[in-house]
Amino acid sequence: MSDVQEATNQLLHVNLHENQRYIHVTESVPRSESEHLRVTIGATVPTGFEQVAADEVREKLRSSCKISKDRGKIYFDISVESLAQVHRLRSVDNLFVVVQELKDFQFKETKEKVLKDFEELAGKLPWSDPLKVWKINTSFKKKKTKRKKLNQNLSKEKIDNGGDKGDERDVKKELSNNALDSHILDYYEKPAIKEEISTLVGDILASCKNENDESSKEDTEPEVLKFRVTCNRAGEKHCFSSNEAARDFGGAVQDYFKWKADMTNFDVEVLLNIHDNEVIVGIALTEESLHRRNITHFGPTTLRSTLAYGMLRLCAPQPSDIIVDPMCGTGAIPIEGATEWSNCFHIAGDNNPLAVNRAANNISSLLTKSQIKEGKLSWGLPIDAIQWDICNLPLRTGSVDIIVTDMPFGKRMGSKKRNWNLYPACLWEMSRICKPGTGRAALLTQDKKCFTKALSGMEHVWRKVHTVWVNIGGLHAAVYLLNRTPQAFVHPSGQDKEELLSAKND
Amino acid sequence: MKLLTHNLLSSHVRGVGPRGFPLRLEATEVRVIPVEFNPDFVARMIPKVEWAALLEAADHLRLAEVPKGPTQGYEQDETFLRKMHHVLLEVEVVEGTLQCPESGRVFPITRGIPNMLLNEEETQT
Repeated sequence: MSDVQEATNQLLHVNLHENQRYIHVTESVPRSESEHLRVTIGATVPTGFEQVAADEVREKLRSSCKISKDRGKIYFDISVESLAQVHRLRSVDNLFVVVQELKDFQFKETKEKVLKDFEELAGKLPWSDPLKVWKINTSFKKKKTKRKKLNQNLSKEKIDNGGDKGDERDVKKELSNNALDSHILDYYEKPAIKEEISTLVGDILASCKNENDESSKEDTEPEVLKFRVTCNRAGEKHCFSSNEAARDFGGAVQDYFKWKADMTNFDVEVLLNIHDNEVIVGIALTEESLHRRNITHFGPTTLRSTLAYGMLRLCAPQPSDIIVDPMCGTGAIPIEGATEWSNCFHIAGDNNPLAVNRAANNISSLLTKSQIKEGKLSWGLPIDAIQWDICNLPLRTGSVDIIVTDMPFGKRMGSKKRNWNLYPACLWEMSRICKPGTGRAALLTQDKKCFTKALSGMEHVWRKVHTVWVNIGGLHAAVYLLNRTPQAFVHPSGQDKEELLSAKND
Repeated sequence: MKLLTHNLLSSHVRGVGPRGFPLRLEATEVRVIPVEFNPDFVARMIPKVEWAALLEAADHLRLAEVPKGPTQGYEQDETFLRKMHHVLLEVEVVEGTLQCPESGRVFPITRGIPNMLLNEEETQT
């Protein structure tokens, strides 16, 4: 290249850069500025499923995650344009935007000094970007509210016309004639369980009441924002309580922004998360489901959809996989499966007729939701419900690819004593229906002792690959990920099977 | 109950074993519900389908246009795949029965849900 050419090239190169810089400057004009904002989002996930959630984030948002030492939380960076996709993540319970992360907070020796520090902290935080995100998030939620209101009438009609109530009355009559355990009937009628089922089925059908409240606020732009501070504190060396921290930090926030404090009817929820020496201040982007609070009070019942999603994801479903939940209860897992993995076929089974009916109703309600969403009329999903006995499944040997289920805990349903007989029989029958070599199972149970015992001696058919320790409403449970070995299932004679199963109970 | 599910079901009456497949299907109420067509799903399902059982069930439901078996190059044959999609996923048996071919035991299908529970005596060893 000649000197002149080289010089020209360099000049062009420089000009190009300058142009780019120029464009960049014009891009950061206030209107479009917020769309190119990058922020850190925090998400709460079922404890134990942080890695699974991180995988989902990487897959759907192409962001890598930081998994917090404060269990059940993950953090990732996004540009605000991806906010809608963030809300569609299935493995996260709640979302917040991080205002600031203080990794090594030096707590002073006395309570007064610590609380004073929190007060002073309020005024020093970089609030503006997170608040922009909050604002975008709120307007985004309002759009959803408008759409839902329109669909509300549609869906309400469907509920009234659907044979739901009629079916249940018939089934109940049948059952009371057959002296079924009354406590099982009551179980599915508990208001808490009914509420939880509604959340499974979708926001559209369940939160009609909430939407009414929200939309009435929607039209009048509030002049003064209402807020609350929620403080979660974990750690042994703190000389203050979460209430005290929330109160004093909240007081300072109020002074700084001139917002109005309101514990129940708030616009902005400020989060103060303290885990040992780590303090994270955030602004909530989702509402803590009131349903969830009720459920915790009554005790855990229907599986959270985030947990159901996590368990399914652990099994890495492949297109056309047959996925079965042989003890489906109200169908949380298969419903989550049919929604997220519609390229697989799902079967929900249970021995309890009320449960199966509930599951079938939930499936129908799901159809209503996707009808509205996609504007399609009466479209079905790749899912079926069957009434059966887990110990004697009417499925062909080796026909199922994945088994995902929430096994009886013995505390909520069934009994510990029953588990000793049930677990080996379950594992046995599940090994029969599961495809040798490629089949796998994700089984949730709190009765870890019984499960481990039942599994030992079945190494020729089940190989334990991974255990996830989870917390279900205070109960320490585990999800066992098992691979079905290549060994074909050998049908023993009736007597042999009885012997084999009883031997495991010794 | 869809025909794909029927293809997976087998009688578990004691002593029947593999002779419990396929269950004989009769229906008094059938519904057709459209399901989103996923050609990849259908193509991958084809090798897993028990054809004789599927044809027998489709015949009992008096379905027309059911392919007799996988055609050459079926993976790319959209017409074939759509027909299979319809048969496997869109035909719902709402009311009917499933009968064990070996023992004669009848299982009812009510509101689309088969009840496969056996009595105490039928399961005892």
